[in-house]
Amino acid sequence: MSEESRILKGYISLPYRWAMGVTTTRFFEEFKNKKIMGTRCPKCNRVLIPARSFCSHCFQKIDEWVEVGQGGTLRTWVLINFSYEGQPKEPPYIIAIIDLDGASVGLPHFVGGVPTDDIEETAKKVRIGGRVKAIWKENREGNILDINYFQPID
Amino acid sequence: MLQKVAIVDVAQTNHSERLEDNIREIVFELVKQLLDRLGIERSDIGSMISSSSDYFQGISCSNSYYYDAAGANLKSGSKTPEDSALAFIYGLMRILSGEYKTVLVVSITKCSEVPSVHTLTNLIADPFFQRPIGLNEVVTAGLQAREYMDRYGLTKEQLARVVIKNLGNARNNPYAHRSGEFSIKDVLASPIMVSPLREMDIASTSDGACAMLLAAEEVAKDLTDTPVFVEGVGWSANSTFLGDQDLLNGSLPLAAKMAYRMAGVKDPLQEIDVAEICDTTSFHEILWLEQLGFCRPGEGGRLIDEGITTISGKLPVNPSGGLMGANPYVARGLIRIAEAALQLKGEAGNHQVTNVNKALAHSVHGLGGQLHSVVILGK
Amino acid sequence: MGQAVAIIGTGQTKCGNRSDVSYPELIFEAVSMAFRDSGLCPEDIEAVVSGSMPPAMEGVHNPHLYWVDAMGAKGKPLIRTATCGSTGMSLAHTCFYHVASGLFDLVLVVGAEKMYEGNPQGVMATVADPFFQRPFLAGAPGIFSLQSNEWAHRYGLEEKRVRLAAAQLSVRNHDYALDNPYAHIKTKITVEDVLKSRVIAYPVRILDVCPASDGACAVIMASEKMAKKLGTKSAWIRGVGYCGEEAFFGEGDKVVWQSAILAAKTAYKQAGITNPLKELDVAEVYNPFTFQEMLFYECFGFCDFGKAVELVEKGAVMKGGELPCDPSGGVLSTNPIGATGLQRVAEVALQVTNKAGDRQIPGARMGLAHAMGGLDQFNGIMIISNSL
Repeated sequence: MSEESRILKGYISLPYRWAMGVTTTRFFEEFKNKKIMGTRCPKCNRVLIPARSFCSHCFQKIDEWVEVGQGGTLRTWVLINFSYEGQPKEPPYIIAIIDLDGASVGLPHFVGGVPTDDIEETAKKVRIGGRVKAIWKENREGNILDINYFQPID
Repeated sequence: MLQKVAIVDVAQTNHSERLEDNIREIVFELVKQLLDRLGIERSDIGSMISSSSDYFQGISCSNSYYYDAAGANLKSGSKTPEDSALAFIYGLMRILSGEYKTVLVVSITKCSEVPSVHTLTNLIADPFFQRPIGLNEVVTAGLQAREYMDRYGLTKEQLARVVIKNLGNARNNPYAHRSGEFSIKDVLASPIMVSPLREMDIASTSDGACAMLLAAEEVAKDLTDTPVFVEGVGWSANSTFLGDQDLLNGSLPLAAKMAYRMAGVKDPLQEIDVAEICDTTSFHEILWLEQLGFCRPGEGGRLIDEGITTISGKLPVNPSGGLMGANPYVARGLIRIAEAALQLKGEAGNHQVTNVNKALAHSVHGLGGQLHSVVILGK
Repeated sequence: MGQAVAIIGTGQTKCGNRSDVSYPELIFEAVSMAFRDSGLCPEDIEAVVSGSMPPAMEGVHNPHLYWVDAMGAKGKPLIRTATCGSTGMSLAHTCFYHVASGLFDLVLVVGAEKMYEGNPQGVMATVADPFFQRPFLAGAPGIFSLQSNEWAHRYGLEEKRVRLAAAQLSVRNHDYALDNPYAHIKTKITVEDVLKSRVIAYPVRILDVCPASDGACAVIMASEKMAKKLGTKSAWIRGVGYCGEEAFFGEGDKVVWQSAILAAKTAYKQAGITNPLKELDVAEVYNPFTFQEMLFYECFGFCDFGKAVELVEKGAVMKGGELPCDPSGGVLSTNPIGATGLQRVAEVALQVTNKAGDRQIPGARMGLAHAMGGLDQFNGIMIISNSL
């Protein structure tokens, strides 16, 4: 008898329908209008983005909507230079966490409009603490990718 | 601790890029090996806690697949998925409750059978905000490393030293499968994968399993001359959105504080003799050591520069080679505990550290290290 | 059994199609309710346990990490427990051991599911291994029907009679659900309706089976010392039993079903129960399927094997009978799987502390909660009483 051990191949792909809830839905509606909305917790005074229906620190429902800035500073960034299945873009591309003006928490998103082929060149334009601003897509669908990327403006 | 609970014995597979055998067979062989070594039967096991990940197995309710292969047919048990160190902690609680005298903890992951860890950890991110931009564990690692290096001036050479140490240590660990003698030049020659981290800075994944028998003190002493006692445990979670986290100061200090308090440890650098921690990247070994209180924030680079964390240093870290040597994702936490136990038992062979009386094992999972655990073991 | 453990607060969301909220918001709803019920706040909680079905159900890996903020779990010890359909009960057990171990005095446990966001049967089909069983076990309806048919055959139970008893259970559960503010399916039906409904896996019909629901349940457990200090109305955990079987469906006997029998036996022994039908005042039995529920009555010793049909016909398991079962309307009316087993625990806790509102069984002092999971593989039980 052979000592072989074969491989069985297969896929598990299943369809999903994720409920956004009223707050996230409204957040994305405002996105279509190029507005970035947060909600403020009256107890701790933090402005949370994306807009949330509850503050997890004070553990209470919140519903005071506040618009935050189109720009902010880069908290940190990374250049992605490898591939894997289900990736949002063809590498190389840049992801960062942005502290938008007026928001108490950061927002992860893409950084674009800068060279990505040579990390030395990239690092000249993309810096922690650097100012960035949102560049919106022409056709917006009400999802997080309506912002095409954040562009360094220093 | 209300009563003393000990690790009786541990077993690991020879971890590999790809293990040929089927999951059920691997689990069976490992558990059988452990029981035979102890001269006990599966009827002697009180309960079985397992740890695996459905997404990392392609089988939902993953523990149902190997439950009976782990010796648990017609026995009580449970699954603590995603991080096997937490399964260990749950097993500990079952014995502390007094209901069980022995608990078998088992973990297995075959990363070779499923899509890339980068695809799977991207699924951890919520579908609305973090997933569409491709956030996963390694991308978040890059974000953390960048923030730290800018703030504290850590260099790529310092990162490389961690890689060299761990892959070097792995040469003396028969269970590790990635090892070698590398130079700084070698490491710096590997391509940038998620800036500022290079391919060699990032622990790849493996196939592997680990099994461990926990027992109440009196039973443990019957079964082994070298019981390893659990002196303290701590674990703690952080917020989900990366923007809500302080990437350089997460939940690890809280987990460590809980464990140290339970174990009565006041000065970790003096009192801990060896540490097995999850070096998901070279940078993270440095960051986690700071957050475990072995040095102040920003000083982690000094630990590697001054040779403190080498196998002959004041605080050997990852004498097993850590995740760089073998990273069967979910099983890695339990393996850290197993390696720490082997050190205390004096059974770590060629990677044995001398004079070990207290050891620390650490595990982590989630974006940015969202959930950490710390286990302190002693003699 | 170590430290005595009390249930001092519960919270359940309204179940059904909860597309009005995101997954974390659903969790927040249940957890907030548990805090209101117990009079506690997040700072009081020392550790958190959470769980749900396989992550493929909602398509979010590591759901416990997704729920952290909604549970107030930031900076706290957190563990996920997942054992398929029995998850809700395994969650209750995990929480129990957190307290019984002496490590914690106040622990929050949360179970939830958003089945409308995924493909339930598609996911359940992936529980079966890909080599041998996956093409054949047709998700839950397939497995449970195979089991029920074998049971009926073994005891020579006439199909018509079994179907009628099953239909009576369906009517009972649907009726009881009308009094449960959290239940999903609230429809008045008749035995005729059940018998005539569409066959999904012969002989099981659509009104013999549970819905797929969104829902979350949160429970707070306390040590004896803490419960006494807080002075809240406590339900006490008197027995805990759990048992698992082989992965291969054809291997064990699923009629004289060992995991169900042993789980009950262990829990009864701890609680000092020798005659469950007499000594239990209420039971919340995991019943996604009417037929299978009758098998559980036999495995739990409510009657001899082959006699559950009689038990149903006599009205023994209805309100007013010897052992009312599923006054909440049960799993048959509401099934957010990750929460379901925990809802059974919450419901029994409410019953024995006289907090079950319109669905209260008068004078209930001791009850049984149960959940089942895997490929008919896991059974978990908890006995809860209003006294230690």
